[in-house]
Order: sequence, then structure tokens, then C-alpha cells
Amino acid sequence: MWAQLAEEVPRFFGPWNLLFLGTALMHTLLLSYLGALGGFAIGFVLSVARHPRLLGIPPLRVAAIAYVEVFRRIPFLVKLMCVFFAFQLSGTQVAMFTVALVTVVLSAAAFAAEIIRAGLESVPAQQWDAAEAMNFSRARTLFAIVLPQSWPVILPPAFGYIVGFMKSTSIASQIGLLELTYAAKVLNTRGFSALLSFGTCLLLYFAICWPTKLAGEALERRLAVRRRVTSTPQLELAVQ
Amino acid sequence: MAYTLQYGQVWGFIPYLLAGAVLTLQLAAIAFLAGALIGLVCASILSFGPRPARMLVRGCVTFFLNTPLLVQVFFIFFVLPEAGILLAPFTACAIGMSLNAGAYMTEIERAGFVSLRRAELDAAETLGFTLVQTIWFVIVPHIVRALFPPLSNQFIIQIMTTSLAAIFAVEELTGRAYNINAQTFRTLEIFSILAVIYVVLTIVASAVLVFAGRKLFRVRASVF
Repeated sequence: MWAQLAEEVPRFFGPWNLLFLGTALMHTLLLSYLGALGGFAIGFVLSVARHPRLLGIPPLRVAAIAYVEVFRRIPFLVKLMCVFFAFQLSGTQVAMFTVALVTVVLSAAAFAAEIIRAGLESVPAQQWDAAEAMNFSRARTLFAIVLPQSWPVILPPAFGYIVGFMKSTSIASQIGLLELTYAAKVLNTRGFSALLSFGTCLLLYFAICWPTKLAGEALERRLAVRRRVTSTPQLELAVQ
Repeated sequence: MAYTLQYGQVWGFIPYLLAGAVLTLQLAAIAFLAGALIGLVCASILSFGPRPARMLVRGCVTFFLNTPLLVQVFFIFFVLPEAGILLAPFTACAIGMSLNAGAYMTEIERAGFVSLRRAELDAAETLGFTLVQTIWFVIVPHIVRALFPPLSNQFIIQIMTTSLAAIFAVEELTGRAYNINAQTFRTLEIFSILAVIYVVLTIVASAVLVFAGRKLFRVRASVF
């Protein structure tokens, strides 16, 4: 088995396969980062809609909460199939990439809404009261007072979730989108050994996921340090 | 061409679909229990083991956490036969999901170990507790209370991840939906019903776990 494998390696990493894997890798990266971007945008809207002090429209709040609860409880594969067949039956011609991207965005939005909600809730209510007393509008309070304080709570877990989105894009192989997992399946079907095809696939996923996770951890450490420094003067003021 | 949803044809298949939920829960339970055991061993090694063992476990956990479950199961399903080990789809899925859950639960259980404070052990010693008493009355209640919420969350996630087994032709909920789809071609109807089933199933599971946690371990948690 090993001798055969050694003979196969140069063929496996030939120019055509490298180009194929490169395209697949690019699709995976685009899918996860664009999906995360869209997801966080919609997630932000959702968490604003459900925040008790922002819009204050009950039906919107309920709708936002329902969206978040429902979409977090449906497996990615089932969401993908629903979106895929909905597009197919609506009769519009769309690329597989669009179908996968829509699924990632819909799915990411629900998770992002939860992260952003936790961030907004981490800011004490007195901040809202103070801003209201100073006659700040709600939008200005959100963007100038609350959001800057909630970044340390939002950003570090966000990176962990982006890794999660990256991993779930592997399921997009089921609708035949050329991303890493599908590429590995194709290479395996073309006669390359499963060890090489899926092993390379796993390593490539690791190579894109791990740095993202490390970036999140580094950011968490940095923000934690900065928060401690800014909180020290307040402590001194209180003592005086 | 406009498409009209017709649920009539699909209703008859609901009992068949729901019977798949049993396999879903079975697979989730297997992966969860095996994962909890793997997590316990790995978390113990990470907390108390020698340095080489710690590094090995840390490396494995990092690798499993940063690669997709689907590809991990593909790897087990297609690579092991090359080495002469043939696995049934259900077995391959169970092994892959257990290993994956094990990596997640290593992190969860290690955090539980860390949350145990030195002062609690000192207090137990001051009160003259024996080692067994300390473990049973101090360490276990503390760790169970700390671990119950994240572990029940993990079980819910496990229910949803078992849907990947459908890709390997395991006839759990999603797999049976594929089967019905092949027979009736009522795609959107079936998958929308399937989505509702997953939502209801996980909400019920959450509610049961929250109730059990409140009654048994006095863990304060809510479903939503």
C-alpha cells in the first residue's frame, strides 16, 4: 500500500490537481467569509429588532426571536436542501455557489444575532439611561455608546463561529458545488487514493480554520488586556 | 412554471419519517456517551497527564476541532477500507461523530475541571472529609453543576449533526426524507416538514434537559 502511495504522490500533486484544489479552496474561503459577512449584517439587524430599548415593535421582536430559535435548530444539511429546492422550484436559474451562499448567510445570521445580542446585553442599562438623559437618539446611543463597549464581547466568539461556518461549508458538497470536500470526492473518484484525497482535504481545512481560531484567541487576549487597563483609572477614581 | 405545495401526498409518510427519529436519537446518544467518555479521558490527561501525553492530546483535539465532521467521516469511511477495515455506514458515522464529539467535550470537561476551586478542597479537608467523601460530596456535585448546561447543549448539537449520516445512506430522519423524496419528488414539502421535526425535536430535548437539570442538580437554565 505504501509503495503504491509513494508512486501516486507526484501524480496527485500535478499541476491540474493543484489548480483544481486551488479553485476549490477559493470557493470554500469565499463561501465562508462572504457568508459570515452577510450573516453578521443580517444578524445585526435581527439583534437590533429584538433589542427591548431600540425599536420596541413587539411583532418585530417576536419575529426576530423566532427566526433565531428556528434557524439554530435546523441542521445545515436540511437548510441547504430547503434552499436548494426552493430555488429550483421557483424556476430561477442560479449558480450552485449562490444557493450555498444563501444557506450560509441564513444560517450564520441566526448565530450572529445571538453573539451580537450577548454583546449588546453586556453593556449596563445605566449607559442607555445616561444617553437618554443627555438627549441622545436611540441610533446614536447604539453606535456611539453601546456598540464600542460591546466589541470585546462580540468579536472573540465571532471568530470561533466563523470557523464553524467554514466547517459547515463542507456540506455544500452535497449539491455539487466545487469546494474542498467535493474536490476530494472527485479526486477519489478519479482513482487517487482516499488517504491522499481526503487527507489533503483535511489538512487544507485545518490550514484555513486554525489561523482563524488563533486570531480570535489573540484578539480575546488583547481586548481583555485593554479592558483591564481602562478599568484601572475608574477604580482609582472610586478610591479617591 | 408555478409550483404549488401539495402536502397531501406526503402526510402518509410521516410515521415512517418519525420512526427515523429513533435512529437519530440513538446515533446522537452513542456519539454523546462515547464523546463524553473520550472527553473525560482527554480532559484528565490535559489536566494531570505528563507533558508528551498532553501535547499529543492537545494536537489531536485541535485537529478535530478545526476540520469538518463530514470530511472526518469521509476519511473513516473511505480510507479505512484501503487498509482492509470495512465499516458499515452506521458504524463509520458513529465512530466519526464520537471522535468529533470527544474533541468538543474535552474542551467542555476541562473547563469544568478548572472551575473547581482549591478553597473548596481545603474546606473539605478542614471538615475532616475522607478522599471518597470529598470526591462524592464536593467535587462531583460541583463538576456536574458546572458541566450540565454545556453538555446538554452539546447533546442538542449532536441531534442536529447526526443528519450528516444521511449522506452515508443511514436511514435516520434526514436519510428517510431522502428516501421519501426519491419516491414522491415532493421535495420542498418533505424538507420543510423535516425542518419542523428537527425544531420540535430539539426544543423538546432542550425542555427535558432543562427540567432534569432543575430537578436533579438545581441547575438554573431556560430553554430559550
